[in-house]
Amino acid sequence: MKKRTLKWLCAAVLGATALIGAASAAMADDVTIAMLPKFKGENYFDACKGGAQEAAEELGITLLYDGPSQDQATNQKQVDILEGWIAQGVDAICVSPNDPTAIAPTLQKAQAMGIKVITFDADAQEDSRDLFINQITADAAAAGLLNAAAQDLKAKGYSNDNPANIALVSSSGTDANQMAWEKAIDVLLATDEYSFMVIKNRDTDVIYPGTDETKVNSECATMIGRMGEGEDKIQAAIGLSSMATPALGAQYESAAEKPDVEKTALTGLATPNALKTYIKDETNPLNSGVLWSCADLGYLAIQGAYQMVTGDITSESTSIEAGRLGEKVIENKECILGDALIFNAENVDEFDY
Amino acid sequence: MNRRKKASLMSTEFFLAVFLLVILVFMRIAAKEFYSKNNFMSLLNTYSYTLIASIGMEMIILTSNIDVSTGALISVVCLLLAAIGKLGAPFAVLLPVAMAAGAFLSFLNGLLITKLKIPAIVATLATTQIFQGSLNMVSEGSIYDLPASYTWLAFKAKLPGGIPASVLICLICTVFGLIFMKYSRFSRKIYAIGNNKTSARLTGINVEKTILATYAFAGVFFGISAVIIGTAGQRVTTTMGSGLEMTFIAAVVLGGTSSAGGSGTLLGTVFGAFILSMISPAINYLGISSNWSDAIKGAVILISVLVSAARNIKKKRVIPSVSGGGVS
Amino acid sequence: MKKKTFRMTFNLALFLIWIVIFLFIGLRSPYFFKPAYLISTMLRNIVEIGMVALPMTMIILTGGIDLSVGNILVLSCMLGGMSAAATGSSVVGILVIALVGLLCGFINGIVITKAKIPPMITTLSTMYLYLGIARGISQGNSVYSFPAAAWMGNTIIGSYTDPVQLPVQILFYLVLAVVFVIAVQKSSFGRKLFAIGLNENAVRYCGIDTDRIKIIVYTVSGLVCALASIIWLGRFTSVKYDAGTSFNLKVITIVVLGGTSINGGVGDMKGTLLATLIIATLNSGLTVMNIPIDAQTIIQGVVLLISLIAFSIASQRARSRKVIKVVSQEKG
Repeated sequence: MKKRTLKWLCAAVLGATALIGAASAAMADDVTIAMLPKFKGENYFDACKGGAQEAAEELGITLLYDGPSQDQATNQKQVDILEGWIAQGVDAICVSPNDPTAIAPTLQKAQAMGIKVITFDADAQEDSRDLFINQITADAAAAGLLNAAAQDLKAKGYSNDNPANIALVSSSGTDANQMAWEKAIDVLLATDEYSFMVIKNRDTDVIYPGTDETKVNSECATMIGRMGEGEDKIQAAIGLSSMATPALGAQYESAAEKPDVEKTALTGLATPNALKTYIKDETNPLNSGVLWSCADLGYLAIQGAYQMVTGDITSESTSIEAGRLGEKVIENKECILGDALIFNAENVDEFDY
Repeated sequence: MNRRKKASLMSTEFFLAVFLLVILVFMRIAAKEFYSKNNFMSLLNTYSYTLIASIGMEMIILTSNIDVSTGALISVVCLLLAAIGKLGAPFAVLLPVAMAAGAFLSFLNGLLITKLKIPAIVATLATTQIFQGSLNMVSEGSIYDLPASYTWLAFKAKLPGGIPASVLICLICTVFGLIFMKYSRFSRKIYAIGNNKTSARLTGINVEKTILATYAFAGVFFGISAVIIGTAGQRVTTTMGSGLEMTFIAAVVLGGTSSAGGSGTLLGTVFGAFILSMISPAINYLGISSNWSDAIKGAVILISVLVSAARNIKKKRVIPSVSGGGVS
Repeated sequence: MKKKTFRMTFNLALFLIWIVIFLFIGLRSPYFFKPAYLISTMLRNIVEIGMVALPMTMIILTGGIDLSVGNILVLSCMLGGMSAAATGSSVVGILVIALVGLLCGFINGIVITKAKIPPMITTLSTMYLYLGIARGISQGNSVYSFPAAAWMGNTIIGSYTDPVQLPVQILFYLVLAVVFVIAVQKSSFGRKLFAIGLNENAVRYCGIDTDRIKIIVYTVSGLVCALASIIWLGRFTSVKYDAGTSFNLKVITIVVLGGTSINGGVGDMKGTLLATLIIATLNSGLTVMNIPIDAQTIIQGVVLLISLIAFSIASQRARSRKVIKVVSQEKG
C-alpha cells in the first residue's frame, strides 16, 4: 500500500518538473504593458510585435506578449489570458479583440482595476477601452483596396461601358474590421469613380472562409475557378484578410486552366513578404497588395499605452507625440496611424515583414 | 449464386456510388459551371489529400483504434517541410522526408497505445496537444516566401490535360491501398484484430506489433497528404492541418467502415472522401451561402449511416448484439 | 472490496497531483493565491466545461462518448439568444435554450440506441450538423446575450473591490455536482450505468431497459449543455458559431483525467471533480505565470499522459489479480 502511494507521488513530481521547465522569470517593478493579438503564428502580428518590442526597448518597460494559436482564435482563450494579466496588475493592456463585444466585460473589469486598456488593429466596444489605435479608417482601407483593383482593371480594359464583376474574400464574418471595410466598399462602389465594379450576388460573391488554412485555400480555389471573361464570371477578387490574399495568389498558380491574366485581377490585404513572389511574377494577375506598416502599428500602440500610464495623455487628449512617428492626432479616443500603403512590383522589395 | 450477387449489389459501396452519381448528374443539370476545368481540378486536388490521409485513417479504424491527432501531425510535417524547403530542397527530398516524419510521429501514437495500454482516442488526444503546442514553441510565426522548388508540386507539376500531379500521387496510393487491403497477409491481420483482439492473439498474431506497424504505415499516408497540403502555397503557418482529422474520420465512416473495427472496405472510403470533398464547392456553385456547408456535411453523414444501419438491421433478423466497447 | 481501495487511491493521487501543482504555482507567482483570482477567475472560467463534464462522465461510464456537446452548447444559446432578441423576453430565451439542448441530446440518444449506430459516429455527425445549423442560421454573425443570461453569467455576490466575491454560477455548479455524485455513486441508476459499461448484453438480459437509460443519459447531457450555455452566453455577452470547437475535447480530457475509463464501466464522479480542479488550476495558474499558451498546451497534454499511464499501470495490476476480469476488459 505504502509503496503504491510512493509511485503516485513520483508521477506527481514528474508533473511538477514539467512545470518548472516552463516557468518564466519574475516581473520587474517598472511599467509593464501586456499585448494580446488576435492570434499568434502569422506574420502580420509578428510584425506588430516587432514594432512593440522596439517601443518597449526605447521606453525601458517590460512587454508581455501572448495570444491564442491561429486555430483557436476564440474569445475564451483571449479572456483567459486577459484574466491572468489583470490578476498580475499590469499597467496597461493592448488588445486586438477577435470579437468586439465578447471580451468587453473582461476589459471593463480591467478598467475598474485601474488598468489602461488600449485596442489596436481591431476595436472593442467603445465603453470598454480608453484608446483605439486604428491603423486606418474604414474609408481609407476601402479606397485603397478598390483603388488597387480599379487601377489594374482599367489597365485591362474595363470601364463603365465594360463593367467588371468583383468578389470579396473576407475573414470569418464577425471581425469588426472586415465588416466595416465591406460597408465602406459598398458605399464607394456606388460612386461614379468605382461604379464599373459590381458585386452581383452577395451570397456567393462575398465569402467567409474563416481562419482554417485548408478551407481558405479550397474556397479561394473555387473562387479562382469562377474567374474569367464574361458576364457570369468574376473579373476581380479582393482578399480582405492576410490569409485570403496569398491564398488567391497561390491558387491562381496551381489552377489547371489559369484565367486570362490580361482579363482578370487579384489584390487585397497582406504583408509584402506573403505576396512578393506573386507580384513579381508577370504571369500572375496579383499585381499589387494593400497594407499599412504593421511595425508602426505595434510601436504606436505601446507608445500610446505607455503615455496613458504615465499620464502624458488622457482620453481627452487631442494628439500624441509618438516617438519616431512624430505627432499623431487623436479624435474621439481614436488615434489613426495613416493611409493605406499600396505596394507593387516596383517597391515590394523595400519591405521586410 | 443469385443470392451472393444480390448481396454485393446491396453493399454500402454500391449505395455510395449511386449517391455520388446522383449528385454529379444533379450538378450537371443545376450548375454546369461546376464542371469547369478549374473547379474540377481544384476539387480533385482537395480530394487527393483527403483520400490519401483517409486511407491511413481507414487502416487505423479497422484495427478498432482511432487517431484524433492527425490534423496536428500534418501541421508538424508541413512546418518541417517548409523549414527544409526554405533551404531549397526539391520535391524529391520533401516527399521521403514527409513520409518518414509522418511515420515516426504516428509510431509514437502507436507506442502509447500498445506499450502503455492507453486507449487510442485519449492517447491521441494527448499527443494532439503536445504536437500542436510544440509546433508553436519551435516556430513562433510562419515561414514565408518559399522558393519555387518548394511549390513545384502545386504550381508546375501538371499531367496532360492540366490535371494536378497530386491526383497521380493519390491514384498510386489508392491502387496500392486497394490491392494491399485485399490481398496482403498484413491486411488480414488488421481485420482479424479489429474483429476480435483476443481470438486474433490466440491464432498467433502478434497484436501489438501489428498495431504499431499499422500506425507507422498510416503515418506514411499522413505524410504524403501533408506534402500536398503544405506545398500548396508559398507560406506555411502552424495550423495547416488543424481540424482535418474529423474530415478524415468522417470520410472513413461515410464509406461504411464500422468504428468498432473489423469491417469495411477501402473502396467505400474512396467514395466517402469524394462526397465530402465536393460538398463545399458544390453548394457555392448552387448559389447557397457557404455558411450552410457544415450542416449539409453533417446531414449527409448522418443520413448515410442511418441508411446503412437500417439495411443491417433488416438483414440480421437475429438479436442485435451490442458492441461492448463502443468507442475504442 | 479490493476494487474500492484501488479507486480511493487513484482519487488520492489526483488530489496529491492537484496539491503539488497548486502549491507550486502559488509559490512561483505572488498573484495566484489571492482569493479574488482563485474564485472569480479560476473557478468562474471552468464552470461551463466542468458542468458538461458531469453528464459526460455518465456517458463515458456506459461505454459511450459525446463529441457534440460543445456544439449543442453553441446551438442552444444561439437559438435562445435570437429568439430572446426577437420577442424581447428572457423567458422565451431560456425556454428555447432548454428545449434545443434537450432535443439535441435526445436526438443523439435515439440515434445511438434505436438505429444502433456507435456513439462516436453518431455524435461526430451530429457535431457537424449542430455546428452547421448554428453557422447557417446565424450566417456567421454573433448572437448577443439577453438579461436573464447576463444575470447567470455575470452576477457576483460582492464587488470587485471586496476580498471575497462569489460568482453566482459557481453555486449552480456545486449544486449540480452534488446531484451528479449522488446519482452516479449512490443510486441504483448509477449502478446500472456502470453495469452497462461493463457488459451491456448481460444487463439487458437482466430485464433492464438499457436503451431507455442511455437515452436519458444523452438527454440529460443535452440539458446540462443548455444550462452551461446560458452561463456561457452571459459571461461572454456574445457567441459565434465556432465557439464550441475545442470545447468537446476539453470536456473529454477532464473526464479521462479523472480516471473514468474510455471503455466504460470503470470510473468515479469524484475523480471528474478533482480533474476539473486540476485543469482549472493549470489553465489559470500557468496564465498568471506568463507561460505562453503553447507551453500550456504541452503541459496539459503531458499531465493527461501521466495520468493515463498511471491509470493503465494500476488497472493492469488489478487485472493480473483478477483473472476473470481479463476477458471482460479484452472485449473493449
